[in-house]
Amino acid sequence: MNKLQLLATAAAVVAAPSLASAECDIDATGEVNVITNFFETLELLANVMEECESEDLKIDVKLTTSHKEEREQAFAASTSPYDTSAVANSSITMLQAKGQLMPLNDLVEKYRDKYGIEDQMLIRFGDDIAAIAFMANAQHFFYRKDLFEKHGLDVPESYDDLLAAAKVLQSEESIDFPFGAAYGGPGNWERGNEFINILLANGGELFDPVTSEPVFDGPKGVESLELMGELLNYMSPNALSHDFGHVRQQLQQGEIAMAIQWGDQAATMDNENESIVIGNVGFAPAPAMVEGGPPAATFWWDGYVIPKNLDGDPETTFQVVMHATRAEVVESNNDITLWVRSNYVPSEYSKAVIDSVMANAPPYPMNPQSEFAHGAIGNNIGDFLGGLESAEQSLADAATDYRSAAVDAGFISE
Amino acid sequence: MKTRSFLAFVAPSVASMLILIALPLVGVAYLSLHQSRVKTELVELTTEIPLVGGLTRKQTRVVPQSVLDEDGMPIQIWEYVGGRNLAKAGEFKGIAKAIGNPRGGSEEKGYLSRLYRDITNFEFWAALEFTLLYTFLTTPAILIVGLALALAVNSVSKRLRGTLVFATLLPMIVTPVVSSLAIYWLFMDNAIITNFIEYLGFGKFYFLADKITIRTLIILYGVWFAAPFAFIILYAGLQTMPRDPLESAMIDGANKWQRLRYVIIPHLGPLLTVITLIHVMDAYRVFEPILVFNADVFANSVQYLTYFALAFQDNIHKAAAYSILTIVGVIILLIPVLRKSFREYRIKT
Repeated sequence: MNKLQLLATAAAVVAAPSLASAECDIDATGEVNVITNFFETLELLANVMEECESEDLKIDVKLTTSHKEEREQAFAASTSPYDTSAVANSSITMLQAKGQLMPLNDLVEKYRDKYGIEDQMLIRFGDDIAAIAFMANAQHFFYRKDLFEKHGLDVPESYDDLLAAAKVLQSEESIDFPFGAAYGGPGNWERGNEFINILLANGGELFDPVTSEPVFDGPKGVESLELMGELLNYMSPNALSHDFGHVRQQLQQGEIAMAIQWGDQAATMDNENESIVIGNVGFAPAPAMVEGGPPAATFWWDGYVIPKNLDGDPETTFQVVMHATRAEVVESNNDITLWVRSNYVPSEYSKAVIDSVMANAPPYPMNPQSEFAHGAIGNNIGDFLGGLESAEQSLADAATDYRSAAVDAGFISE
Repeated sequence: MKTRSFLAFVAPSVASMLILIALPLVGVAYLSLHQSRVKTELVELTTEIPLVGGLTRKQTRVVPQSVLDEDGMPIQIWEYVGGRNLAKAGEFKGIAKAIGNPRGGSEEKGYLSRLYRDITNFEFWAALEFTLLYTFLTTPAILIVGLALALAVNSVSKRLRGTLVFATLLPMIVTPVVSSLAIYWLFMDNAIITNFIEYLGFGKFYFLADKITIRTLIILYGVWFAAPFAFIILYAGLQTMPRDPLESAMIDGANKWQRLRYVIIPHLGPLLTVITLIHVMDAYRVFEPILVFNADVFANSVQYLTYFALAFQDNIHKAAAYSILTIVGVIILLIPVLRKSFREYRIKT
């Protein structure tokens, strides 16, 4: 689907509420309040959910980039003002570990046939179904096919290849810098994420699963961080304040020739309203850290959860979620993301994500401790990348911060 | 006035101050003295997650899981921890260790430079360093810029003044997050200003790449944003300036500078104190440009740490501890200003 068709679909959803509400046959009264992050796919799902609104049923979807803070407070309160929320594999773990999520097993059984619920959509923790997944995502390698051809370069299979290619591309005058990656971003989350991508591919771990003690500050971690430092030499000097949106713009505006970027952004490279490099950007799995090893990227999913303390009716809420993620929605919006449902038809834009999975890219570590490790790493490695201290020291500081957070949460007893 | 009617008059404001100011403060202090968490135990757990094309991947790991009560709800632990959160937020242990034997960064040699590097490596102290720098540089700057603007607008013809006052107030009207973004976008890679500098032949300039340029940008933003506030108060003050002392000064042969220094500024004195008071409180809570410029490696603020603890560390108790440290900081900074205005008040009465 191109942009125009998408706009037409969106317009139809907005302009024809009578037609739309005919599609939604939830017979219930009350309110369903939803809180989610804010990006294109979730915006679409919000619009579909609102189709179910009737005189007796009020549906309110709040799309906000501060969804995480609000959700954490809401799910921990005595009653949550939100009946459902979209989460990803990083954010579900803490909620699940805290026992705040309602097991959806009974609802799934009851509505399996009505909504054609497929097994791969069910996120299971042990026997409990904790979430209904609708999309997958992974970061991968984006590169300028025309420039690679011009300089006789091959798609890098390892980070050593990437560094070699970056060196060659320094002589290319049409670009500002050879490489781009999100080394900044809100709360330095994306910087931490890049480190985790590389660390896991390097055979490292974040923490010891039994004692929860940090292990990311060992030699594998130092190697990974030093690689990030080397990559920084081929990036914009402003890179420490770039989030993935900046990196996307840099690619679209022809400022850089290579990048690590989220898979669901691939189609935007050919969006003629934003991009001047249409048709010139190629996609491949992220480079590996060790020969024959997995690509340096983690695998993600996004899905909906229902808290135990919800204020509304779980059954109505569940139906609204399933209505929004049903097969017809996937069919008529195939290209906007990588849908989990089996009727999704992969396109050239999702091939690199699928290749990454086939090459054994690990899922993002689904332990609650990961959130603390991720935050502490993002918050401390900037000191090394900004040239203030050594990689060892930055990681030692991060380990101290992580420990402190893990002690507060009761994962480590002091 | 009888005591009873006096009490009746002040009761509404005392009540609203108690509810809106004292109560939240007590709440924050209470939160900072406690720690809460969900009781967890380690459990071996198999998770199954989707890949693409109908594939799934199973993983068995040891994961902390909540301990549930009879109703299936997680058991909450709420414990009194005394000053632990405050000590952690202020990193006092680390500071004590650093003073004893600073390790320094990658290059520093001398004791003092190693100590400086160590202290600024602690989040709170790094944030405090920039917060104080921001406060002490922007405060005099907005007084000077505000006064200059007020004098300038006051000297143009009356017909133009309304438009000028409105235009000068614009930076204050725009929401700080929006104006921070606007400034940030001017100085990014290939943004208007960076491209203009390149066009002028100075080459590529990366404003977000090092400490000095980032800090300068944020401080200039602070002056641009807060100067209109000083301006409007001083401009209003100038309207109350009686003509007599100015004319007497002119007859005595005072030049423009002497009139400003010895007549106008003393007249505006109390206003300058008020502006300083309010701006110091505001500046110490600098937050939006830090968030938007996304540059906390080089410039951080105490208020940003509160947000970070809440939003990214999911720790309301640590966030409360940072808030307490912020309040303490503001009080310490305000003591000299308050003492000065109290002394002036006593002389007058």
